[in-house]
Amino acid sequence: MSLKEKMKETIIEWDEDGLRELCKSAIESKKASAAELLSIIGDVMRFIGDQFENEEIFLPDLIGSADTVKTIIDEILDPAIRASGQEKETKGKVVLGTVESDVHSIGKDLVGSFLFSNGFEVYNLGVDVPASVFINKAEEVGAQIIAMSSLLTMSMDFQRKLIKELENRGIRNKYKVIVGGSPTSEEWRDEIGADGWADDAIEAVSLVNKILNIK
Amino acid sequence: MKINKLEVLSKDEIETIHSASIKLLEKVGIKIDAEDCRKMLQDNGAEVDKNSNFVKFPEILIKEQLKHVPDSFKLYGRDGSFNFEVNTHSTQFGTIGTPVRIYDPSKKKGYRKVVLSDNIKQIRIVDSTDHIMASHIDVWPSDVNFLTVHTECIYVWAKNTRKPYGSGCYGRVASKDMIDMMSIIVGGENELIKRPRLIGFMNPTSPLHLPTLMTNGLEVFAKYKQPTIVAPEALAGTSAPVTMAGLLAQTNAEILAGIVVAQLFNPGAPVFFGTVSHITDMRSGNSAIGSVETGLMTAGIAQLARYYNIPSRGLGAVTDSKCFDIQNGLERYQTLMFAALAGINYITCAGTYEATLAEALELILIDDEIAGMINRAFNGINVDEDSLGLDVIEKVAIETKPGATFLSEKHTRKYMKKELYIPKLVNRNRRTTWRKKGEKDIINSANEKVDEILKNFTEFEISPNMDRELKEFMKMAEGRTYDYFRKAEGISADSVTLPDGIEIREDK
Repeated sequence: MSLKEKMKETIIEWDEDGLRELCKSAIESKKASAAELLSIIGDVMRFIGDQFENEEIFLPDLIGSADTVKTIIDEILDPAIRASGQEKETKGKVVLGTVESDVHSIGKDLVGSFLFSNGFEVYNLGVDVPASVFINKAEEVGAQIIAMSSLLTMSMDFQRKLIKELENRGIRNKYKVIVGGSPTSEEWRDEIGADGWADDAIEAVSLVNKILNIK
Repeated sequence: MKINKLEVLSKDEIETIHSASIKLLEKVGIKIDAEDCRKMLQDNGAEVDKNSNFVKFPEILIKEQLKHVPDSFKLYGRDGSFNFEVNTHSTQFGTIGTPVRIYDPSKKKGYRKVVLSDNIKQIRIVDSTDHIMASHIDVWPSDVNFLTVHTECIYVWAKNTRKPYGSGCYGRVASKDMIDMMSIIVGGENELIKRPRLIGFMNPTSPLHLPTLMTNGLEVFAKYKQPTIVAPEALAGTSAPVTMAGLLAQTNAEILAGIVVAQLFNPGAPVFFGTVSHITDMRSGNSAIGSVETGLMTAGIAQLARYYNIPSRGLGAVTDSKCFDIQNGLERYQTLMFAALAGINYITCAGTYEATLAEALELILIDDEIAGMINRAFNGINVDEDSLGLDVIEKVAIETKPGATFLSEKHTRKYMKKELYIPKLVNRNRRTTWRKKGEKDIINSANEKVDEILKNFTEFEISPNMDRELKEFMKMAEGRTYDYFRKAEGISADSVTLPDGIEIREDK
C-alpha cells in the first residue's frame, strides 16, 4: 500500500493515531516533507468531499475525517512547515464566529469544517464574539473573509455592527464580509451591506469560492 | 372509550432514562453562565466547578425542588374573561416559532419580511380561532429596533386579543418590562400574579448549558409566577446524541435543571416540561423539524413529563417545507398528531412553515381546523344503548318508502354535531360545485377567511390614561442603549440599578 493509500485509510477511519504515526515517520525518514503530506491530505479530503457531494457518505463521515486531519495538521504539519521557514499553501483565510450575544455554534462550526475540508484556512473564534475580536483576528492573520453567524433574531443586528466598525476603521474594502444563520437572508445581506450570504454550509463553500474567484 | 395515549417508552425505560439524566446532573452537571444563579444552586447543595462553571445537581436537590412544581395552573387573557387550564391530562394548542418571513402571494417570491403590522394581524387571527388558545411574540418585526420588540408587542397585545400572550425569557430587563406593561394593562402586579397572562419560553442551549439571558429572564417569570416553558432545542446528531434514548436522557437533564432553578427562584412557580428537540439531517447538516423522529422524541418527553407529573409542551404542526405542498401538510399533521396522541398538554407552532422561520396567517386557520379534528378524535367512540341506535337501524332498514335514509332521523340530528367534526376549510364538494365556486385550494379558502376576519376586527379599547402610561413606559424603554442591557444582565463588568427592586449583581 502506498503512503497515500495508507493515509487515506486512516483519514476515512478517523484513525488519528495511525495518521499521526504515518506523518511522523514519513517526516523523520525524509520519505515526504510536511508540505507534501499536506498536499496528500488535500487530495484525500477532496475525494471525501466528492463522495459527500455525490451522497455516497453522510455528514458525520465528512466531519469526522476533517476533525482527524485538522488535529494532525495543527499538531505536526503546521509546526513542521513553519520550522522549515515555508509558507503554507492555502486557498484563503477565513475568520469565522457567532456574533455577540449569541451562543449557538453548530451551524457556524459546520461551515468551518466544510471550508476547512475544501482547503481554506479557518480561524474559528467561537460564540458570542464581539465585532472588535473578529476584526482584530482578521487583521492579525491577514484574512480575506470575515464570516458571521446568528441563530437568534435578536443577535442579527451585531452583523450590521461589525460592518459599521470596519467602515469606522476605514478598512471595509480590505475584507469580504459574509453572513449566515437561520433568520438571515439575501435581503438581510443587502440591507446591512454584506458581500455574501449562504443558506447552509454547502452553499457557504460555493460562496467563498465565488468571492475569491476560485474555480 | 376515549382514545388511548400513544406510548413510546415502557415503564422500565422511563426509569432508565430518568436515572441516566440524574447521573448526568450529578456527575457532569449543567454549565450555568450567571454567577448569581450558580451561587443560588451552591447555597442549596449543588457543587460548582469554578473553572468550567459546571454545576452538579445532587439527586436530593432535584427531588426536593420537584415537589414544589404545580401540576396545573390557569392562563388568562387580558381582561380574564378568556382563560384555560393547563394540566397534565388536557391538550391545548398555541403558536410560536421565530418567523422572520410572512407569506405574501402578491410578492414574486411569495413572501416578504415581517413588519409590526403583521404582529397585529397575526394576533387578531389567533384571537378569532376556536382551538388556538394563546399567541406569543411569534413573528419578528423587521421595522422595530430589536431592543424594543417586546414593549411594542405588549402594546399590540393590549388592543388586539382576548387571549394570553408569551415571549422568550430574554433577560431580566425585557422580562420585567413585559411584566410591568402587563401589570398596567390588567390592573396591577397582584392581579397578574394571581391570574397569569404571560407564558415564558426558557430554552437551555444543548448540550447541558443554561445561558445568562435565559436564567435572568426565568428569575423574573418565576418571581411573578408567569408559567414558563423549559424546552431545549436539541438536535439529534449535532447538539445531542443521534440516538433517541441519548437525546431524551440529555434533554431530560436540561429540563430538570431549568425547573429546579425556577423552583429555587420561587417555590411553586408554574412551569411546563417542554421540548423543541428534533434531528439533524445527515446529508446537509440542517435541522429537520418535520421529521418522524420529532414525533417520537416529543412522545418520549410527554411520557417523562407525566412521570414527574408536570404539564408538558411539545412541537406540532411543524414542517421544513418552504411552500404549501404535500410535504407541508404531511409533516404538520404528522408532528401534530404525534404530540396530541402522546398527550402533550400544550402543543405549539401553529401558523408556521420553513422550520418555523416563515409564517402564514392562512396556516393558523388550517392548524385551527386540524386542532378541531384532533379534539374530535380525543372524544373517541361513545358506546351506549342510545348511541348504538338499534331502533333507528331497524326503522330505516325495514322502511319500504323510497328514499329512506338516516338523514331524516331524529337520532342523526341529535348526534351529528357531537359525532362528526364539521370542517370550516376542508373542501368536500364534488368537482362541479368546487369548480363553480372558484376551484379554491385550502390556502385560497383560508386566505379569504383571513381577509374577512381582519376586515371585521374591531380593536379593543383601552382608556386614555392606560394608553398614556403604556406609551410613557415604551418611551423610557426606547431610550435605553445596548450597553445598558449588557450591564443590567450582568454580562459586563459594571452594573446598573433597575427602577424596580430586582437586584442586579455583577458578573465578576
